[in-house]
Amino acid sequence: MNLTLPPKPKNSLFKKLRAIVITISIIALYIWTFLGIDLDWEKAINKLIQQFDKVIPMLFSPDWSATGEVALTMLETIFIAFAGSLMAAILAVPLSFLAANNMMGKYLSMPGKWLLSAIRAFPDLILAILFVVAVGPNAFAGVLAIAIGSTGMLGKLFSEIIEQIDKDVVQGMQANGANRTQVLFYAVLPQIIPEFLSYAIYRFEVDIRASSILGIVGAGGIGTMIVFASANDNWSQMGTILVGIIVVVTVIDFTSAFIRKRIV
Amino acid sequence: MIEFKDVSLVYPNGTQGLKNVNVTINDGEFVVIVGLSGAGKSTLIRSINRLVTPTNGSLLVDDEDILKYRSKNLRKLRTKTGMIFQNYNLVKRSNVLKNVLAGRLGHTGTLRSIFNMYSKKDKSLAYESLKRVNIEEKVYNRADELSGGQQQRVSIARVLTQQPKYILADEPVASLDPPTSHQVMTYLKKINKEDNITTIVNLHFIDMAMEYADRIIGMRAGEVVFDGPASEVTEKTFEEIYGRSIREDDLRGGTES
Repeated sequence: MNLTLPPKPKNSLFKKLRAIVITISIIALYIWTFLGIDLDWEKAINKLIQQFDKVIPMLFSPDWSATGEVALTMLETIFIAFAGSLMAAILAVPLSFLAANNMMGKYLSMPGKWLLSAIRAFPDLILAILFVVAVGPNAFAGVLAIAIGSTGMLGKLFSEIIEQIDKDVVQGMQANGANRTQVLFYAVLPQIIPEFLSYAIYRFEVDIRASSILGIVGAGGIGTMIVFASANDNWSQMGTILVGIIVVVTVIDFTSAFIRKRIV
Repeated sequence: MIEFKDVSLVYPNGTQGLKNVNVTINDGEFVVIVGLSGAGKSTLIRSINRLVTPTNGSLLVDDEDILKYRSKNLRKLRTKTGMIFQNYNLVKRSNVLKNVLAGRLGHTGTLRSIFNMYSKKDKSLAYESLKRVNIEEKVYNRADELSGGQQQRVSIARVLTQQPKYILADEPVASLDPPTSHQVMTYLKKINKEDNITTIVNLHFIDMAMEYADRIIGMRAGEVVFDGPASEVTEKTFEEIYGRSIREDDLRGGTES
């Protein structure tokens, strides 16, 4: 059989040369980095093996006596995530309209977009440290950190949803003689609300994971237990904590996927 | 009565949408505008409810120059000119009733409409309108559960609920199959006769234009190149309007089901 193949792409000499140079540079970078590590490799590997022998079996024999405490702090973690993402979902709505091109115009939407990018520039942990300093080491700091961090993300996603609405429907309403508010309620909101909800639930799912970590800097939730367990070499308790996190995250993943499928 | 007086429209990118158009459309007429795509049919029809704004001339609707209209007058104008679109432009996630009630928006206060507080009269009008296009059994279905022809009938019901004086239909059958196209055109014609609503339809199928129109306006490159009763129109006329011989795809074909 005579097959007609697409012509071979034209690879210029420059492109080939560029690929080779990039590959060599990356390899060189890695070699230089590893040479720079001042480490007694033999000792390090021996220690690693020793620790593994000790830690891994303990992780897999969870300390069930800690179940009560783990469940309680896990519950706190869920509450932090829930309160935080709920706050974010509400805050993100007005911000997303301010940042949407088709609502504010190309130039007026810029400040909104900048604000949302600025918020997103802070990692959750940094926000948590800031709020621990501001309101003290408790769950409220965690809620605020999650709320602000998620607002940046949800605001951006929401504004993209608004920018993707079907303009024809808006035009249809305008052609009926509807005013701006009526267009908002009849043409815009029905198109965006299900998707807003879907993203808010998805963000709650992400926030559960984020709020499990926040306790490391003292912002409440199960992270605090993680810090203590590792500081005390209490690896069997750490095992219980991990089981708790895995169970909760899995359950919430499945529920959220199920709910989101239903609403869109 | 709609009067175009020397109306021209140049789009910001320089395209000439309309060129010195002089047309008068009398009350109760069923006018079909024909022409190739890009000939200015859409621009002409969208000028009447000011979805686009002509740059020159004057356009009188009921003896008022609508080109001077601003927001409030504009909404009033749009309340009496109902529009039907090629892509139906329904809110897909809302149910049929809510879509049809949206036809009352121009007549309803903002707060009442936001909280869905329509009068019994409006609700019964919406249901009557759905009955007139035989789709009342879908009243609580979501719009995206309906077929194309059904959606277009819902959008006709929406326009009926609006109780307009004029109906503008921009390529209402271009996305439909032949039998459904004839059905939609038949409903439009029936409404025109029964309610005496002036109806202006854009079409590019010449057989449908000849079958349903009282009067045909032909356009090419933004200009009106033919204007006369449908009875005077022959295939030759269309060849002059289109500036080429008639092809198979200029015909919708099929008959009323």
